[in-house]
This record gives sequence, C-alpha cells and structure tokens, in this order.
Amino acid sequence: MRRSEMLSRMLVIAGVLIVLLVPLAVRFYDGQGIVEIHGRMAETGGWSPSAIKAQVGVPLHLRLTSDDVMHGFAIGQSEMAAVDVPPGKMTELTLTFDKPGTYTYYCTRWCGLNHWRMRGTIEVTSDGLGAPQPVSPPLYVTLNLDIDAPHPAPVTPLERPSALRGAAFTALLPPSYLTTDYYRSYSPAQAFNDLRSDPALKSLNNAQLWDIVAFIWQSNTTPEGLAAGKQLFAQNCAACHGENGAGNGVFADKLAAAGEKSSEDMTGAKGMQMKKPVNFTDPANMLGASPALLLGKTIRGGMGTGMPMWGSIFTDEKTWNIIAYLYSFHFTEVTK
Amino acid sequence: MSRKQWFLIIFAGLAGAVIAFAPLPVRVTPPAQRTLRVEANQFAYSPAVLAVNPGDTVTIELVSTDVVHGLYVDGYGVSVTADPGQTTRLTFTADRSGSFRFRCNVTCGALHTFMIGKIQVGSNILLWRALGLTILASLVAIILFPRPAKAQAA
Amino acid sequence: MRSELTRFPLVKALLKNRWPQLLVFIVMLAGFLFAILSGFIGTPVGSSNFGIVFVWIAWWAILILVAVPFFGRGWCAVCPIPLPGEWIQRGAILEPPSRKPRWLNLRWPNKLRNIWLQNLTFTLVALFSSVILTTPTVTAIVLAGMLFLAIGMSIVFERRTFCRYICPVGGFIGLYAQAAPLELRVKDKRVCATCKDKPCYNGSQVGYGCPWDVFPGGLTRNTYCGLCMECLRTCLYDNIVVNARPFAADLAKPSTRLDETFKAFIMLGAAMIYAGVLLGPWGALKLAAYSVGTTAWLGYAAAFLALIFGILPAFFTLAVKVGQRLSRASTPQHLFSKFATALVPLGLMFWVAFSLSFVLTNAAYILTALSDPFGWGWNLFGMAGIAWQPYLNALLVPLQTLVLVGGLLWTVRTAQKVGTEVRVSPIPVIVFCTLATLVMLGLLL
Repeated sequence: MRRSEMLSRMLVIAGVLIVLLVPLAVRFYDGQGIVEIHGRMAETGGWSPSAIKAQVGVPLHLRLTSDDVMHGFAIGQSEMAAVDVPPGKMTELTLTFDKPGTYTYYCTRWCGLNHWRMRGTIEVTSDGLGAPQPVSPPLYVTLNLDIDAPHPAPVTPLERPSALRGAAFTALLPPSYLTTDYYRSYSPAQAFNDLRSDPALKSLNNAQLWDIVAFIWQSNTTPEGLAAGKQLFAQNCAACHGENGAGNGVFADKLAAAGEKSSEDMTGAKGMQMKKPVNFTDPANMLGASPALLLGKTIRGGMGTGMPMWGSIFTDEKTWNIIAYLYSFHFTEVTK
Repeated sequence: MSRKQWFLIIFAGLAGAVIAFAPLPVRVTPPAQRTLRVEANQFAYSPAVLAVNPGDTVTIELVSTDVVHGLYVDGYGVSVTADPGQTTRLTFTADRSGSFRFRCNVTCGALHTFMIGKIQVGSNILLWRALGLTILASLVAIILFPRPAKAQAA
Repeated sequence: MRSELTRFPLVKALLKNRWPQLLVFIVMLAGFLFAILSGFIGTPVGSSNFGIVFVWIAWWAILILVAVPFFGRGWCAVCPIPLPGEWIQRGAILEPPSRKPRWLNLRWPNKLRNIWLQNLTFTLVALFSSVILTTPTVTAIVLAGMLFLAIGMSIVFERRTFCRYICPVGGFIGLYAQAAPLELRVKDKRVCATCKDKPCYNGSQVGYGCPWDVFPGGLTRNTYCGLCMECLRTCLYDNIVVNARPFAADLAKPSTRLDETFKAFIMLGAAMIYAGVLLGPWGALKLAAYSVGTTAWLGYAAAFLALIFGILPAFFTLAVKVGQRLSRASTPQHLFSKFATALVPLGLMFWVAFSLSFVLTNAAYILTALSDPFGWGWNLFGMAGIAWQPYLNALLVPLQTLVLVGGLLWTVRTAQKVGTEVRVSPIPVIVFCTLATLVMLGLLL
C-alpha cells in the first residue's frame, strides 16, 4: 500500500475516533463523584434518578438538567433557595446535610397538571452519630379531626369583618381567645359562636363579634408572615386555586375534566376523584375550617382529588403562613 | 432596446421606488391604553394575533396554562415570562408600526422555537409595499417583453 | 459570458490534488458523526443539542443561503456521507488501488434511473419534518440511516447510487444547481467524441470513473454532476473545466422530465407549507404536523400531499392550457415540464426567504451549541450562557421582500424564455407564479 493511502486512512480513522471517544472520555471523567439528575414532566418520568443517597456532613455534588421544559429544584422542609433547572443546561449545586433523615426534593416551577408529582428523595445517613429528628404528630391528628368531612360554616358574616374595627374591643375580650392554641383549633364560625355565647361580650352585635374574630385571626399572624404566605400561595397554589383564590386557576378545568376517569384504580373500583379546586373566597366553606383542619388538608393532601401533599415540602411555619393568607380573602385590613 | 422600453424601465424604477419608500399619510388615532390578555400553552398563544394602534401603551397580560412560557416581541426586543398561576404583565409603547412576531423565549418543549404569534401595530405597511412591488414587477416584465418575436438562441 | 476558473493554476491544483478534498471530507465526516453522537447521547432538548442546531440551523443556512445558490452542488462535493461506503467499494480512500475489491458492483435498475425515489424520500422527510427537526434522537437516526444506507448501496451497486437516486437532499440540490453560477463542463466536445477510453466515465489508473454515473462530455446541465472533480483528474486531454457563468444558465434548456418537474412542485409547496405551519401563528397546525400518527397529523399529511401533488400542479396545468389557448399554438411536447422550469428560481427563492427568517431567528443557538454541544454544562468557547435573541431582525422583512420580488422577476424571465421557445404565451404561468409569491409574502411578512 502506498504511504499516502496509509496516511489518509489513518487520518480518517483518527478523525472518527477523536470525535467519538473524546466526548465520551470527558463525560466519564468529568462526572466522577457527581450525581446528575434529569428532570422531565411527571407524565414522562419526573426526576431521574428519583432516589439518592448521601451522608451527613459529606458534600453532595449535583448536576441538574431538564429534558423538556423549565423545572426548578429545592429541598423540602428546608430554607434552601430554589434553583432553576432550565432545559438543555446544567445547573450545578452542592448540598451538605447536617442531620440524617429522608429529604424530599421537588420541582419548583409549574410544569403541567402533575407538576407536584415531580419529587424525589435523598436518604441521608450518618455513621452512628445523630438520630433522626423525633417527629411529633401534626395538630389535626392530636385534635382528632376528620379532614375529609365537609365543614360548612353554620354562620357567616353579612359584611366583610374588619380586624381594625375588632381591635377596638380588645378591652372586653377575655385573653384566652387570643392564644395561638385557640386560633389554630377553631374555625372562625366556631369562634364567632363562642364569642356570641360569652357573657363578657353580650353587648356586642354580630357584625362587631365578626370584627373581633378578624382581629383574633390577625393577631396570630404578622405582615411578614402574610407576605410570605401570599408568595407561597402564588407559587404553589394559584395554578389550581386561582390567583385570587376563587378556585378558578389555569388547571381548574383540566382537574374537573379529569373527574370520573381519574377515580378508577387499577382494579376499576371507584375511589376519590379529581375535582375542581376549592374556592377559598366562599365564606360558607372557608369560615367553617379551622387552621388545624387546613393544615391537615395541606400537609396530607387530597388523596386522589388532585390536591398535592405538602407535608414533606413546607416547614410548619410556611404552612401556617399560607393558611393565614387564605383567611385574608375574608377579613379586611388584616395586613394593616 | 427601444426607447419605449427604456422609458418603461425608468418608469418602473420610479414606480417601484414610490411603492417601496413613499411616506404614506398615517391615520392618526389618539393613543390609548390597551390591556391584552394572552394565554400561552404548548405551543401556541391565544389569541395569536393582536392588533393595536401606533402610539398605544400596550400591556400584555401573559397567562401560562401548562408550563413556564415567555413572550418576546420581535422588533421591540422586550419580553416577559410567566409561570402557571402567576400572571405577568409586559407594558411597552407601540411606537413602531408594522407586523411583528412574538415568540416564546423560555424553552417549553419540542416545538418551542415555533411557538409564534403576531402583533400588528397599525397596518402591515411593509406587506402592502411588498405586494405592490410584486405585482409591479410581474406587470412590467410582461409589458417589457410582450410577444417574443422569434425563438432566441438557446 | 463564462469565465474558466480552472485556468488559474492554483485553483486547478487545489481541485486536482486529492488531499485538499480529503481533508475537508475528514472534517465533515467528523462533524457529521459528532452530530449523530450528540443526537443519541446529548440532551433531548433540540435547541441545546449540537445535532439539531448544526444540521437544521447552521448547515441548512449555509446550504440554502450560500452553497446551493452560488455553488450548486458544491455541498455534494464535500458531503461526507459517501466516504465510508466508497472506501469499501473502491478499496481505497485516496487514489485508485492496484487491485480493486470484488463487490457486487451492480448497475442501478433502468426503471429507477430518475429522481422519483428522491422525490419520495424528500416527501417522507418533509411529512415528518416537525418531529425530525425538533428531536435530537430522530435527527440522529435519520443521519445515521443515510450513512448506513449509503454504505450498503456502495457494496451492492456501482458508483454513488445513494447520492444520485436516494438522497433526499441531493434531489433538490440538483434541481436548484441549475440556477447556480458555477458549472463543470468540457472545453471541447470534439475531444470527447474522439477519446477512446473515456476514463472520465470508466476510470483509470489515476482516478475513478464518474461516481455520479455521468459522462462529462455530454454535460449540458448541472443537475446530476456532483462536482467531485474525478473527471478533472482522469481526463487525458485536460478537457475538463470549471466555469463561473451567469446565474440560471441551465434554465435556458427547459427540462422535459416529469420527475424533475414534480421535484419543483414538491419544493415549492413545501416552502409554502413550512412558512405557514412553522412560522405562522396557528398553533393547531403546528401540533397537527408534530403529532405523527394522530388523525390531525393524517389530515395535515393529506393536505400536504394534496397541495404538492394535486392543487399546485392542477392550477399550473390550467395556466399552461390557458396559455396554449391564448397563443392558439399547436401542442408541443412536454409543455407542462418545460414551463415548470420557471418554478426552479421561484422555489429556490421561496426557500431562501423562508430560511432567512428561520435562521436569523435561531442563530443564537449556534453559539451556545458550539460551546456546549451536548447540553452537559461544557463551555468550550465561553458562549454557553448567551441568551437567545433574534439577530438582524430589522433587516429580515426588506431582505425577504427583495429575495421574493427578485425571485419573481427571475421566474418571469425564465417563463418568458420558455414561452419563446415553445411559442406559447407564458402570461398565465406568470400569473400563477405571481399569485404564489403574493401568498408567500402574506405568510412570511
């Protein structure tokens, strides 16, 4: 064979090998010690991998990318700021856990009706040191509430109660009504009935009592808490429950339409079905719900109704903030 | 070429220049505030064609109904992004006339690059000019070479 | 009117020597394989994947805006697809070996010696184009499929049968190459007539017989000459030249072949459909084109085929018939095909206008895909973070207008020349082309 022929064959083979092998080699060595997580819409697979192991105190290097649309990444029950996971790009992130346990990571940018199903877990273990956090049962469990039962408000105000007007009656109000325990355990309608039957408040009319209810509810939150609740609501709830809480979010119709069909389990039996999201602006419904009940619904979720379970995602503080914000659809001047 | 043909060519050139560049009397409408709600889903805007008058202050309310979408207005270079449940607003003054495409600028799936709508600011004057030039070009060519007398050498 | 480029010694040396071409081939082959690789293992997000961005934005831009209009089959001269197959077929990469391998070396069947198969492959690609050009794996499968088919056909058949009869791209490049200001021809046909061995077609010690199965001595059109330069190397009489020439020189000799005529209709129709579906504001159409296999897609496919093979040819036939009436002419043969020659510049300019919009809008992806070809977070040239934005947006509409109006003028002149030759009034055909241009303007602007 001529030398020129030899050389040209070598050049062709070298060219082919370089373009095929160099990327693969770089990919292999570059990926050592790094977990690469691909995000897809839940319908097409969600996160993969969706279960990761890590060790307490050992930095976990993550590379996040999306294979379809914009996603986000955050760790539940933590104050970690969410990072965006744009399609076709790599987002690098290093996490260090100081307590063992099972952490949930979840998508933070709405990516369709099943956005909230896009979750995964990080199993963080330690070498003997530190025990998992003791878990205390949530309030709705200790109060033994049936969070799936209807909770109509037996009474509703004729006009919008005002916390500011209610504040004028503080002198008359027995202090037991202003405790956090009271606020969390009772619905506004129950609180109204308690106030109505309280001899200390006999002189007040119904509207004034409702104003006091508004005041009690306001005194259990702060402007910062409400602002945080508002933001969390916009990011996590508004897509279904509507930006104004009226249950008419952009996915509401799809949920309602999924209805019947969504209720069949694998055996064909009917279970809970997807339904239209709750309208938080309806006093007949909302004023009959206690914060503990709403907490239960939020952290446990709607079990097949389309309502996600947020327990592994939100800290208690965040959930209470969202709940406080939900009542603000009924009470004015709460943020004042 | 005959003198007649030369005249025709010069005439066509002038007519073409007029069609292409002549300033037109602009129908002045008092500028207004306009709020347009645009829903975005994979891979379309609804409504996909918007019409405003030159000088209007336009606010586009972008409502995304499935995944995160954006809206970038060609020619104006302004954009906005919306998540489902979080309506966003883009306000700009429609100070350039014509037809502009707007497109998604947050990758939103397979047909992302083809997720396109149109905003018409006043009339689409460039299209009318182009249509005029096209008809002029074809008319002039027909008149200029009316009846080829004899087969030319191939 | 023609200027021989091969009269410059440097040009001639560069074309005649095998090394420059081989080096370009190697770079192209590497890029081609890289595109396939990234389609399979890179990010599934099209706009961040080298395969999609380089094939459908960068390569397409160069092909339709530069290579085809100015160099005709210039792309075919450097396309890497035939290289692996020819290595096997010829037993060598560079110069012909002393002993040739014995493969089947069959002749391509006579019935298929036309571009109907290319019309079919292009139509198929076009029907699935919304999926192909947005899905990296599908693009990779199509590219790899072309490569392996070319290798297989090189083993079974003689010469470059894939390029000549199958390649979906090659078909329209050939059609539009007629409009290019570049050609390979012989200096003196008498020399060819008396040449005994015809090494340009049969091959010799110094080169291969025409891979495109063309006898250079008979070349009158660019359509099937792949500009591979083999004949330049084998000709014993230095009779092969590469010329610069006026645009569209080949169109003076109207085609009489129905396969080429339909290629012109396919290209014209496809450009209009893409302008409407891909660049228009109608989301339902886009989804229909993308949702392969659904009823909506079947509807889209039916409309696509109806426009290309039914509606456009029917109106064109009507135009030709009216022209005949007007001129009270006898009925010369191949009138339909001859007039359809006018659709060559029209279709080419439609594609240029469509591609300008598509390419300028998406050019930003070229920069990011160069820096991060697989979407793995690389940043080779520091441009991975560049935000998308359309480029030269203000120039787009004037450019498209210029291209389409210029294209129409060119088309009208072509139709008039055909009319002169066949002595039939070209005016109805001109009206058809004018209406098509108006529609295209309406879709694009």
